[in-house]
Amino acid sequence: MSSQTSHALIRKTERYRDVLSENWFAYLLILPVLLFLVLLMWIPFVQGIFMSLHNWPFGGDPSWVGLGNYEYLFGWQPFVTSLKATLIFSLTTLFQLGVALAAALAVREIRRGKSLVTGSFLLSYTLPPLVTGTIWAYMLEPDLGPIFGYLTQWELLEETIYWGSHGDSALAVILFVTTWTFWPFMFLIISASLESIPEEMYETARMYGANRVQTFLRVTLPQLKSAILIALSIRIIWNMTKISQVLQLTNGGPGYETSILAVLLYRFSYEQGQMGISYAVGVVLLTMTIGFVFVFIREFERASGGDAA
Amino acid sequence: MSLADYDAVGVTLKASTYGVVWFLVLLNLVPLLFIFSVSFMPPTEFFGAPHIIPYEPTLEAWTSGFAELKDNLINSFLIGSGTALLALAITIPGAYAFARKEFYGKKLGFYAIILAMMFPYILLVIPIMGLWNDLGLYNTIPGMILAYQVFVAPFAIWILRDFFETLPKDIEEAAQVYGCTQFSAFVRVILPLAAPGIVAVGFLAFLTGWNDFLFANLLTTGTGPVPAVPVLYGTIGGGSGERVYWGKLMAETLIIGTPPTVLYLVARNYLESAFTV
Repeated sequence: MSSQTSHALIRKTERYRDVLSENWFAYLLILPVLLFLVLLMWIPFVQGIFMSLHNWPFGGDPSWVGLGNYEYLFGWQPFVTSLKATLIFSLTTLFQLGVALAAALAVREIRRGKSLVTGSFLLSYTLPPLVTGTIWAYMLEPDLGPIFGYLTQWELLEETIYWGSHGDSALAVILFVTTWTFWPFMFLIISASLESIPEEMYETARMYGANRVQTFLRVTLPQLKSAILIALSIRIIWNMTKISQVLQLTNGGPGYETSILAVLLYRFSYEQGQMGISYAVGVVLLTMTIGFVFVFIREFERASGGDAA
Repeated sequence: MSLADYDAVGVTLKASTYGVVWFLVLLNLVPLLFIFSVSFMPPTEFFGAPHIIPYEPTLEAWTSGFAELKDNLINSFLIGSGTALLALAITIPGAYAFARKEFYGKKLGFYAIILAMMFPYILLVIPIMGLWNDLGLYNTIPGMILAYQVFVAPFAIWILRDFFETLPKDIEEAAQVYGCTQFSAFVRVILPLAAPGIVAVGFLAFLTGWNDFLFANLLTTGTGPVPAVPVLYGTIGGGSGERVYWGKLMAETLIIGTPPTVLYLVARNYLESAFTV
């Protein structure tokens, strides 16, 4: 029995040695990038979870509190406000998809100046998000900004709106600016995938007498499925962690009304130096994004499964 | 369906196509036009009726903006370039291995790297802050360059692998027949052919270093090498807008925003193939 296992063990190590000696050059090539990801991602991540179980002032001495940070958060009213804001904020991903899809379909139809048009579409995405946040902070400034300036001058509005002092309007502004800034990312992925649909598929559809709506639903959409899936999952996660525009436009206020979880995390670490609670917020954020992506992939498979077949 | 009907649908579609395109183009260009004009207005012109063409155009906002940002722009440039160079150094070999070599665990390794793209990076900044503090990397340019590799490496591996895969399979073999080693075949034959992709990835990595706010703000303090982007946040930071000299702020947004935009538009042609999923 034991000789058998040791024999198997020897065989196994021999196999590993073979694999290594055959492929050592390949392993050497990927070693740097793997090393970096382990050092910069997995070690900090594990350490962060460890931090979230402590009372951990920045630069000070940590003390063990177990799940205390989490207990504190879930009993704290602003945290609930923050969760609600995060859910509303996550709608931006859907808006981005809508704009990107419309833009990609429209751009495919135009004949001249395509490169110029896509180039100008990309402007909002290539500028640093904090810069676009600053631009909109000016454009939408209630007293001096041109948007409310013109709206009141043309008497479309009786008086300017101080959107920053109400939670709902502040969230609406943040949703708008985030959507404006990040839709081109989905546009890039969707239109690349749109270009790669073979023309024959459309010819065949026409031959069978399909109208435009049918062609769109039966040919275009199923072909775009995987592109949309990838773009949406990446964007859901990336949107949830964007903080610069929220900070620039409202600083998470009034109160905590626009402090989405990522901003709450930032406020705990940067303003208060409470690393433990901050990371506890991060763990909640991570759980939420993973949940979103799973639900979304399942629903997507279910909804499009019938059509694609 | 009659012929007239069909045309009506076609015309509507065409009209809405151009409607969508024009609407989105204007939605991007109009705000930029406004801030461009505002950056030439003297501070007194912000009050009163809104107008596009400044009454008394002045360059004051631009000169004072440049003076304020000079050191930070240099920091941004160093951080961006360092991020790009380091990213290329660590990802080119890896991407090449994933494109050309067969080895045990290849698929798993590739997905482990790509999935890192889906990780919410904001979760890393807090432990990295503590870690950098212990290692003496907090508030230094090398610390920033190292930290940005988390954002850049997965994307770079993805794009570069696709790029290496499009190169014909037998060129390295041909080079080896003529006496190249595995390594010199890679350096002398593959690298020059992949140059466009490498340049594009380098630009993207530079943009990451230049555009980022999160790490830039949390890993530096006022006394250290602060890049340009966090300075803008320091100026208003969600506070009240009354006391801000908006002209200067808008000139600064243009100063900071122009380099990444130009770079991206240049790199765009190389990147198009990479986005095909």
